Amino acid sequence: MSSKIIIISTTILLIVSFSTLFVIEAKNHDYDYKKIWSAAYFENPRDDSLDFAIENHEGIDAKYGYRIFSNDEKLAEGEIDVKAGARQKISPVLPGEKISGTRVMIEVKYNDENYKIYKDLK
Amino acid sequence: MYISLLKLILNIPFLLVLPGMFFQAAIFGWKNKKMAFLERAVLSVPFSLIIVDLIVLLLNRMNILIKGPILIFSVLLFSAVCFAVFHWRFEKKKKTEKDKGDPEKIFDFSAWQTVFILLSLFLAVFIRVAYLSDTIIPSATDLGHHMYWVQTIINTGHLPDYGMPDFIIGEHMIFAAANLVSGVGVMTSMPAILLLFFNIFGIFTMAILVGRIFRNPNMAAVSFFVAGALYAINPPQGRYVSGGVIGNVIGDMLIPVSIYFFYRAFSEKNSLFAGLFLFSFGGLLYTHHLSTFVLIFSVAAITILHLALNFKNIFQTIVEWIRIYFNPFPIAIILLFAAYFFLIFTPSYFNTAAVGQATGEPSKATRVGLALSQIDGSVGSALLILGVLGFLLILFEINPKKIKYSVALGWLAIVFLMAWKPGWLFVNIPSDRVGNYLYLPLVFLASFGMVKYFESFRASASRFFATVFLFTILFFVITNGLSDSADVFKSKNMFQQAMETFHSGEYLAATTDPNQDVILKDHVNIYADSWYKLFFMKDYKYPLSRGNLSRYIDPTKPRETCTRDMISTPETEAAKACFSETGVNYVVVNAQSEGTSFQKYPDFSQVYASDYIAIFKRD
Repeated sequence: MSSKIIIISTTILLIVSFSTLFVIEAKNHDYDYKKIWSAAYFENPRDDSLDFAIENHEGIDAKYGYRIFSNDEKLAEGEIDVKAGARQKISPVLPGEKISGTRVMIEVKYNDENYKIYKDLK
Repeated sequence: MYISLLKLILNIPFLLVLPGMFFQAAIFGWKNKKMAFLERAVLSVPFSLIIVDLIVLLLNRMNILIKGPILIFSVLLFSAVCFAVFHWRFEKKKKTEKDKGDPEKIFDFSAWQTVFILLSLFLAVFIRVAYLSDTIIPSATDLGHHMYWVQTIINTGHLPDYGMPDFIIGEHMIFAAANLVSGVGVMTSMPAILLLFFNIFGIFTMAILVGRIFRNPNMAAVSFFVAGALYAINPPQGRYVSGGVIGNVIGDMLIPVSIYFFYRAFSEKNSLFAGLFLFSFGGLLYTHHLSTFVLIFSVAAITILHLALNFKNIFQTIVEWIRIYFNPFPIAIILLFAAYFFLIFTPSYFNTAAVGQATGEPSKATRVGLALSQIDGSVGSALLILGVLGFLLILFEINPKKIKYSVALGWLAIVFLMAWKPGWLFVNIPSDRVGNYLYLPLVFLASFGMVKYFESFRASASRFFATVFLFTILFFVITNGLSDSADVFKSKNMFQQAMETFHSGEYLAATTDPNQDVILKDHVNIYADSWYKLFFMKDYKYPLSRGNLSRYIDPTKPRETCTRDMISTPETEAAKACFSETGVNYVVVNAQSEGTSFQKYPDFSQVYASDYIAIFKRD
């Protein structure tokens, strides 16, 4: 009888433990759950397109500022609201003669954090 | 989420209990006086694991795609065949006198023993779960490497050709089967949960080994505490579960099973147990080379010691032992594994080069053996002291004719020598890995030692000194043995870093061309990076990786240094040559460390920036 009690108790203990671990993992395997971070990236890193995206994983709706430079010359700037957990794509319209053959840098700012991405255009 | 959880919870008994249960029914019937309920329940798990592995190997050899429905059908078919055998062997025939009667009372625990076991198990599981809850997101390096191969099996429906001896098929089949049957992905908690399951059943397999050999319920009960609660986090326990050291975790469950049947075959002269020893040994052979190696040495040492202790009857003993194996069941198991080995699937490590690498004079500083202080640090002072106490106490009551003394002494002696002076045995494998196996014989002897000490304490003439000594040793065992567990509650999870790593992996998988682009990532400063390869599933060695810097220095042979130079010094001529040679055009680094350095290099564009990860493209 004692062996059966041990096996049944262990089975219950393991089911509770596995469920706990599974739920902890499933909840935390999420870009937003209890996390505070952002990301900026080019939509297509392989070509000369300057379309970029900002992802907000700060846990709250946030206003991001961005500035676009060509060889240190500021070409454009703006602000964009991104909802918590959302992604916002931005397609900047820039004069071709000013960016051709230069390094174009996009600086995204949120609070004290700066996210720089840049490309050397042909 | 809850549906997946339910599927996983149901999947575990289906794959890891059912086949083993029916297998035992076919061999022993539903009730047999030779096997207690606890033993049968515990052995269902290791048997099921071996059976599922054998089924998958056979399906692969028959060129049948390994998919969920096929696996479910195969497991049910196997169980049905076992049931038919059981029916034919046991239901239609009257029980013989030999089989009648209740099992021995070894595992009939008293109420207090049951409470002690349950508390020990609760503590064992609680500490492990508390530790795992901070590491449960897939992030461990070894586990990431293993899960690449598991995902390969899932994607292709066939077993992979590793092309290297580092991986063994038994480390991967059960995870692939769990995914294919339940649908729960490998980038979830599923691998860690299965490993925890095996780890907990390792405690049980030690308990039945201790209980059966010493025929003492107290010792079996104490083994739950020693194996489960002492050093519950240190390797080879919680840290090996979270770290994905699959072979060791499964090996620590299967080695006690093998020794259990080895002991019972010889002590009871029973060919069924001899066959089951071979069966569990064969299962281990397909699962982990190092564990197999340790088991072979252990069994050899036990055998030699027993023969040496009974030198007068050596020939008679050998003839008796050989007779046990010259019976239909052991021979059938030998033929089964010979067929598997030569016709169905040969383990990747089974070649002369790999065997040659593991034997002979130690070739590296890490293989020349551990100092005694290192052994103490590896297994833990409390376990070591209790084990040595058990070793000394067993010497007082040694009876050379009984093989249990050879098991107790020979097992510890050989694993200790393998870890301490491997050169004496021509063992050439990393000593720290061998040292982790000391845990098994030490648990065995510590359980004996603790109970024997309590018994001698009761009979002690000087109660005062005995009490002082008893409480001193208990205080030390509990404080030292649980010290690693206390650290668990101080740790901080790195879930955010892991998720940022995964996000960058998803980004690259979606935006790069696997035929033209080549990615290099940094293992040194990026958490959970070994899981990166699962986003691409292109090759085991893809993306390229800068490994731990010490790996690039090897006095015995030159190592490639490109993966290091392309991240550490990308502007040097050597690194530029490496970029040309390898075609690397994307570099993934930690944004806080190498990320700021890379921003100074004119040859690179930065295409991705997050708080933790920076991705650069070489123009």
